[in-house]
Amino acid sequence: MFSLIKIEWLKIKRYPAFWWMLGIVSLTYPGVNMMFYYGYSQSLAQSKDVGAIVKMILGNPFTFPETWHSVAYFSSFFILLPSILVIMLVTNEYTFRTHRQNIIDGWSRDQFITSKLCDVLIISVVITIVYSLVALSFGLYVDSNTSYRWSEQLYYIPLFFLQTFAQLSIAFLLGYLLKKAFISLGIFLFYYLVVENIAVTWMQFKLNDLGRFLPFEISDRLIPPPAFMGRFNKDYDKVLHAIPQFVVYSIVLTALIWLLCFRVHRKRDL
Amino acid sequence: MQPVLSLNGISKSYGSIQALKNVSLDIPQGCVFGILGPNGSGKTTMLSIILDILKTDNGSFNWFGKKGSPETRKHIGSLLETPNFYHYLSAVDNLNITHAISGRGSAEEIERVLKIVKLDERKTSRFSSYSLGMKQRLAIAAALLGDPQVLVFDEPTNGLDPVGIAEIRELIKELAKRGKTIIMASHLLDEVEKVCTHVAILKKGDLLTAGSVDEVLANEDIVEISANDIGQLETILGGLSGYSHIKKEGSRLQLFFPVGTAKLEDVNRFCFEKGITLNLLTVKKKSLETKFFELTNQ
Repeated sequence: MFSLIKIEWLKIKRYPAFWWMLGIVSLTYPGVNMMFYYGYSQSLAQSKDVGAIVKMILGNPFTFPETWHSVAYFSSFFILLPSILVIMLVTNEYTFRTHRQNIIDGWSRDQFITSKLCDVLIISVVITIVYSLVALSFGLYVDSNTSYRWSEQLYYIPLFFLQTFAQLSIAFLLGYLLKKAFISLGIFLFYYLVVENIAVTWMQFKLNDLGRFLPFEISDRLIPPPAFMGRFNKDYDKVLHAIPQFVVYSIVLTALIWLLCFRVHRKRDL
Repeated sequence: MQPVLSLNGISKSYGSIQALKNVSLDIPQGCVFGILGPNGSGKTTMLSIILDILKTDNGSFNWFGKKGSPETRKHIGSLLETPNFYHYLSAVDNLNITHAISGRGSAEEIERVLKIVKLDERKTSRFSSYSLGMKQRLAIAAALLGDPQVLVFDEPTNGLDPVGIAEIRELIKELAKRGKTIIMASHLLDEVEKVCTHVAILKKGDLLTAGSVDEVLANEDIVEISANDIGQLETILGGLSGYSHIKKEGSRLQLFFPVGTAKLEDVNRFCFEKGITLNLLTVKKKSLETKFFELTNQ
């Protein structure tokens, strides 16, 4: 496993597009949360009365322990960016035909997929680290009086990791099966932004919420809207209680995705 | 001696197109084995199968007497179809990846092979900035890394200029002299004839023939003769027995005998007794090109 990671490192360490994309991802996560925080601060600053009402309704989503949840939720909108990275990494192998050369040089087909699995895992870890640092910074910066509660809701870190890994695995599957970067990315964006959102909403009313089993929705439900948004939903407690169930679904779906990749790669002509 | 590679009844099809039909052959150690065939004959398919890029429909193959595996591929230097490298990496970085995957070579070895293929001055340039010939040279360098005992080359002189072609041909000859086994697919008959000791000819997935170059070419003895009066010579040869047919090639005649039956002294004596003095009498080997067209045009 370590040797596979070492070889993947040789492939990406001098790949400018990878570092650019990683840089953009690392800036986007703090950026988007700053934006929400700025909006929140502006509401508080409007007038004493309005500020007091906003604070009463919303609480402070950026203090401990709610920061772990809020930052995870806002950051999860931007899974698109690391997805581009993942799609790029897998489709490059087809573009350069190095997916064949790696096998010719002595990798097994399983090793090839394992190396890509490592890439997706590592990207997910990096993204989770960025998220954790952003959430931690907000918690410490916004209200140092709550820092003693830093360890509450820490479970959002593994949940965020699982959500990121599950959704990046879907991006990988698309890139792996379609082989072309633009087509994969196009389908990914269209499905993620349009098709699934419409399908989930429609199924919510028409099909007994069956949309909860759609690929992205399964892992989206790992991180429900933060409390200040969720409190307007009468079923919010149910949503929170369903998280463990969706942890299992996400793990099963992600395992199936990778098993499919291993299986297809063992059988197919390269 | 155990063959380096044995193919046993390999078949492969792409939809309705049968690319290889029950192909079996052995590749002996230390030979330069040319795989010939027109476009679409199955050469690259065969090499792709032995390198685990394609899956067979039927049949199996063994490297060094064992079932093909990643471990065996690590000991084989290969160039299949096109040079496949990371475009954004330099020659050295790309060869580092080859080294890391295959375990062949070392940092010093990378310098050595880049020198052999004359890429040492551009070793830090990105692969994307290389010409087609330079890319091909890098692929050959990757195959040479670690001085493997077996090399597989698919059209190794693709994209090279005449000097490059001659250099690669010399390199292959030198590798063969050092006892390496080289398996080479090509449609350049001249190239194969110059460097190969063994040959297999494919046509639309059928293996038409395989064996040492001498065996493959020598299914007939061609005796080439000439005299001042070529017309009279042709007339008297009607009385000579043993040959299958005669062919006129300019001012010379070619007599085709079954392999191993042509005796020059008998031909000479026959003509002399009929009053003709020959000014040319030689056994000619059939060119690979002639043989190739004979087989593939049937």
